[in-house]
Amino acid sequence: MKRQLAVAGSLAIIIFVVYVMAKGFGTNPHEVPFLLAGKKAPNFTIKRLDNDTKVSLSDFAGRPIVINFWATWCGPCKLEHPVLDWAAKQYADRAVFLGVVFEDTEENTKRFLAENGWSFVQLYDPKSTVAVDYGVSGVPETYFIDKQGIIVGKYAFPFTDPREFTTRLAQITR
Amino acid sequence: MILRTLVLSLALAQEGYAPPRPVGDLLDGQRELRVQKLGKQLRCAVCQGVSIADSPASMARAQLDKVRELVVEGRSDDEIYDYFVDRYGEWALMEPRKSGVTLGLWLFPILLLVSGLIIIVSSARKGASGLPTELPAPAAVKEPEAGSAPPDDPFLAQVRADLEK
Repeated sequence: MKRQLAVAGSLAIIIFVVYVMAKGFGTNPHEVPFLLAGKKAPNFTIKRLDNDTKVSLSDFAGRPIVINFWATWCGPCKLEHPVLDWAAKQYADRAVFLGVVFEDTEENTKRFLAENGWSFVQLYDPKSTVAVDYGVSGVPETYFIDKQGIIVGKYAFPFTDPREFTTRLAQITR
Repeated sequence: MILRTLVLSLALAQEGYAPPRPVGDLLDGQRELRVQKLGKQLRCAVCQGVSIADSPASMARAQLDKVRELVVEGRSDDEIYDYFVDRYGEWALMEPRKSGVTLGLWLFPILLLVSGLIIIVSSARKGASGLPTELPAPAAVKEPEAGSAPPDDPFLAQVRADLEK
């Protein structure tokens, strides 16, 4: 009886250790978890870069929204800029596109946009409060919010392929 | 795919850094101490294994500013931890909580240590009770008398028979 208990106990410990190790080794330690998917998108009010007027997320209630967090010092952000510009023009009638610049200066951003052009509303988050509220863990990150104001998911890579963007957009516009 | 990876690598190689930003407005003594204490327990979202209180990253300062804002609002420590856990999961905490599922992470090593000690002690006791208390006396060895031999020794019997001839 004692021997059976010892064997069962040892087996339980081995199974637990293997489970913990498998779970640990199965995840990328550099990947930052994201738990806001499926939750209400936090509201915010920050200013537009082109005319300094305030914009709130709630202004676009009832419409699918794409929010792109970016900065001018970020190489991948520059890489995806043409894709997002194209998408904002192509799908202007299907979703609202918002750019949120954080961890950057207003001057740098205005200069970059003047040189590269922009086709959708760009907002400035001077103290990164909106980025923290959205659980941003790097740049660029693009959030997809459905008509009900629920965050469907985020894409934490630069969009280099327009098809990838179209696929993601379809999740909030169906 | 290879082309995409190359383009991405090139873009990443050009990656710069966020411009430095000033430290946010500190709170008064006691409240700022609380902010720093809480910040030590919260993981920086853009760093590797560094708390927001220790990281010089601009994003970490933004997170610490958020802690200040929540402290000013009168939130409890648990509510402040929850704010970050809601966004990044338990990963946001530098140490797992001593409650719920993560309590097991704290208890398991202790249980393992106690189990090991119990096994060692019980094995030692078992081993001790199995041993005889005194060593048995060695069997008395009887010196054979000179000239005598075991009666059933066939060799000696043969020798004796030969001598009698």
